[in-house]
Amino acid sequence: MSDRYAQVEVLHRARPRSRLIRWSALLAIACSALVWFASEISFADMFSTKRLGHLDRFITNDMLPSKLRGESFSWGGLGDWCAEQFQLNGARAMFATLCISVLAIVLAAVAGAMLGAFGARNLMSAHPFLPHATVGHGDCSHGLDRVAQFTRFVCILLRAVPEYIWAYLLLAMLGTSAWPAVLALAIHNAGILGRLAGETIENLPSQPLRALSMTGGTRRDVAVVGIFPMALGRYLLYFFYRFETCVREATVLGMLGVVSLGYFVIEARAHGQYSTMLFLIFLGGMLVMLADVVSDIARRWLQKGI
Amino acid sequence: MVHLGGAPVLRGVDLEVGSGERVALLGPSGAGKTTLLRAINGVIVPRSGSVEVQGTALRNLDQRRLRQIRSRIGFVHQDHSLVANLRVLHNVVAGRLGRRGFWSSLRDVVRTSKTDLVEVHRILERVGIGDKLFQRTDSLSGGQQQRVALARALFQQPTILLADEPVASVDPTRSRDILDLMTELAEEEGWTLVASIHDLALAREFFPRVIGLRNGEVFFDGPADALTPKMVTELYSLDGLDNAGKLDGEGASKEQDG
Amino acid sequence: MAKPLPLAQRLPTRRVRILTGIFLAALLAFFGLDLNLGDLIPRDSGFRLVLEFFGAAFTPAFTYQSSTGLPEGTSPFLFKVGRGLWTTLTYAIAAMSLSLIGGMALGLLASASFWERRHPLWAVLRWAVRLLIAAMRSVHELLLALVFLATLGITPAAAVLAIAIPYSGTLAKVFSEMLDESPREAADALSYLGANPLQVFLIGRLPRAFPDIAAYSFYRFECAVRSSAVMGFFGFTTIGLYLRQSFENLHYREVWSYLYALIIVVLILEVWSSQLRRRFVA
Repeated sequence: MSDRYAQVEVLHRARPRSRLIRWSALLAIACSALVWFASEISFADMFSTKRLGHLDRFITNDMLPSKLRGESFSWGGLGDWCAEQFQLNGARAMFATLCISVLAIVLAAVAGAMLGAFGARNLMSAHPFLPHATVGHGDCSHGLDRVAQFTRFVCILLRAVPEYIWAYLLLAMLGTSAWPAVLALAIHNAGILGRLAGETIENLPSQPLRALSMTGGTRRDVAVVGIFPMALGRYLLYFFYRFETCVREATVLGMLGVVSLGYFVIEARAHGQYSTMLFLIFLGGMLVMLADVVSDIARRWLQKGI
Repeated sequence: MVHLGGAPVLRGVDLEVGSGERVALLGPSGAGKTTLLRAINGVIVPRSGSVEVQGTALRNLDQRRLRQIRSRIGFVHQDHSLVANLRVLHNVVAGRLGRRGFWSSLRDVVRTSKTDLVEVHRILERVGIGDKLFQRTDSLSGGQQQRVALARALFQQPTILLADEPVASVDPTRSRDILDLMTELAEEEGWTLVASIHDLALAREFFPRVIGLRNGEVFFDGPADALTPKMVTELYSLDGLDNAGKLDGEGASKEQDG
Repeated sequence: MAKPLPLAQRLPTRRVRILTGIFLAALLAFFGLDLNLGDLIPRDSGFRLVLEFFGAAFTPAFTYQSSTGLPEGTSPFLFKVGRGLWTTLTYAIAAMSLSLIGGMALGLLASASFWERRHPLWAVLRWAVRLLIAAMRSVHELLLALVFLATLGITPAAAVLAIAIPYSGTLAKVFSEMLDESPREAADALSYLGANPLQVFLIGRLPRAFPDIAAYSFYRFECAVRSSAVMGFFGFTTIGLYLRQSFENLHYREVWSYLYALIIVVLILEVWSSQLRRRFVA
C-alpha cells in the first residue's frame, strides 16, 4: 500500500497544473483580505451610531414628501403624490433617458460594426479566407495585420474610459445638449461592440467566405455580401444585450447636467426634496427593468429566427 | 432480477435476468434499448407493469430509497458521461456519490483520502490507465475515457452494470478491448451485465445471452448461437424501424429523475 | 465575382424587421431629444478646448502641471496618481469580493439546473430570487451611491456597497445563465449513480460552467474598476476625484495621466484574463 502511495505521489507531483491559475487565485484572495482588513473601507464606520442617527432621521422625516409630513400615512395620498411627480418631471425624464440610450446604442452599433470588420484578423489579411498554399507569394499582408492590431487597441482605449468620464469631458467641449451623453455612451459601447463584432467575424465558418473570395470577390465584397448577413444574427444579440446596459447608464449621465433622469435626481437632491429623488430613482429602476424585458424578448425572438 | 411490463416505447416486455448473467440488447435504433436500460435503474417509470431490482419493486419508491438502489447499479454511457474538465481521479471518486453524505462526498472531491487515492490508482491500473490518475479527463482519448467510466463503475462497487452503447463512439479496434475488459470485470466482480450493442458480431462474441428488441417488443431472447441470419435481417428490417419511429413519437414516458 | 444577391433576399425577414425597427427608433429618438447636427461641432471656446485637450494627449504629465498654489510638502504627482489608482482598486476589489459571494449564491438559486430533480414548488423561490436580481440590477450604482450619501453621509463602505448591490445582481443573472447552458450529460450520469441533487449540481454541473464564470468575473472586475473610478465624482477619493479637479484647473496633461493610468489597468486585465482563459480551455 505504501509502495503504491509512493507511486501516486510521483504522479501527483507530475500532474499538469498551471502556475498562472494558482497565483491568480492566491493574488485575488490576498488582495481581498488586504482590502478588507487594511484599508479605509470599514462597515463599522458605515453603521456607526452617528450614521444610524442620520439614517433614522432620513427615514422618519426627510424621506416623506413634505405635503404628507405630519399627516397620518395613507396609500391614496402617496398615490396622488406619485402621479403628480410623474407628470411634473418623471415622464419627461424617462422619455429623455430612453431616447438617449436608443440613439447611443444605434450609433455604437454602426461604429462597432466598422471596428469589428477592421479588427477581425481573418478579414484583415492579404488574401482573406484563402489558405496560404493557394496564394503562393509568401507572407506579405500589406500591413493589414497591423491595422487589425491597431483597431483592437482602439477598441480597448474606447472602453477603458467610463461613459461618465467621456460625458464629463464632452460636455465641456460641446456645451449643454443631449449630444455629450449620447456620444459618451456611443463611444464606450462602440469599443465593446467592436470587440464582440471582431470575435464574431473571426468565429464565422470560413468555407462559404472562402468560396466568395475564390470567385474573385474583393475584401469589401466579401464583407458586405458574405460577412454582414452571416454575422448579423449574433451581432444583434449583442446589440440588445448592450442596449439594456445602455439604458441603465443613461439614467445617470444626466447628473452632469444633461436632460436625462439623473439631472432631475440631482436637482431634487439639491433642493432637499429627497422624496422626489427616491421616486425618480424608482422610476429609473422601472425603466431599466422594462428595457431588460424588451431586450430579453427581442433576443428570444431573434434566436428563434436564426 | 428484472421484470418489466408495458411502457409506451416498450410493450409486453417480460424479462428476467439472473444475477451474474451477461446480456446484450440488440435491435435497430429506436427499438427501446435505452428506455429499457433506464427503466432498470428507475430513471423512467413504466406506465403499467413493474420493474424489480433484487427483489425491490421500483414503483413508488421515495427518492432516498431510489438513490440507494441506484448506488448499487453502475451505468456506462455512450459518451459525455464524465465531467470533462475535472481530473480523472475526481471522476472516479464520484462513483461513490450515492453512498456518501453530502459533506463527505464534497471532501472526497476536494481532498481525496489516502486510502481512496490508493484504491483509485489500483482500479485505474486494472483498467490500464494508471498513469492518467491526475490528468484532465478531456485530455484523454475516447477509448481511455470509456476506461475511466469503467473505473468509476469499479469504484462504485455495484452488483449490476448497465451499459448503453458503450463502444459506439470508440473506434473498432479499441471497442473490442473495452468489451473484453468490461466482460472480464463483470466476471471477476460477479456483476450482472446488461449492455446495448449495435454490432452483432461483438454481441455474439462477448455475451452468452442476447435479447433482440424490435418495435418495443422482445423479438428474440436466447443464447447468441441460436440467432440465425434470417432472424437478424428481420430484426433490422425497415418496417420495424418505421413503426419504432412512430412509437417513439408517442413515447410519453414519465421521467422520474432523482 | 459572383453576382451578389440583394441583401433583403439573403437576410431572414425577422432580422430585416428588427433592423428597420431599430433605425426607426433611432430617428424617433433623434427628434425626441431635439437634437441638432450643428451642435456636434464645438464652437469658440469649446473648439479651443478640444485642440488643447487632445493636444495634451501626447504629453501626459509626470509632474504637477503648475507648482503655484501647491502647499509645502505635497507628494509628487505620480504618487498622487498611484494613490488614486490604489484607492480605485481597493474599492473595486472590495465591491467585487462582496458581489462574487452574493452573485454566486443568488445565481445558484436563480438557475433552473440547481432546482432540477427537486419538488416543483421550489420554482416559486426561484422566481422570487429572479425578481430580486432584476430589482438589484435596475438601479445604477451612482444612484445608489447618492441614496447612501443622503442617508449615511460619505464613507468608503457606502461606495463599495453601492457598487456591490447591482454587480451582485448582474453576476447572479449571468452565472445562472451560464450554469443552465453548461452541458448536462455528465450531471445526468451522476444522478444515475444515485447522487443526490445537490451533489449532481456541485460536482456534475458547476465545474463545467466554471471557466466561463471565471472569465466573466474578470470582465466584471474591469467594470468595477471603472465604476469605482467614477465614484470619485461624488467625493470619494478615487481617481475620478483627482481627474475632475485637474480638468477644472485646466491641467489637461494631468487629466491624460489619469486616463492613461485607467487604460493601462484595463490593458493588463485584458491580457491577464485572455492568458487565464487559454489555460482553462487547454
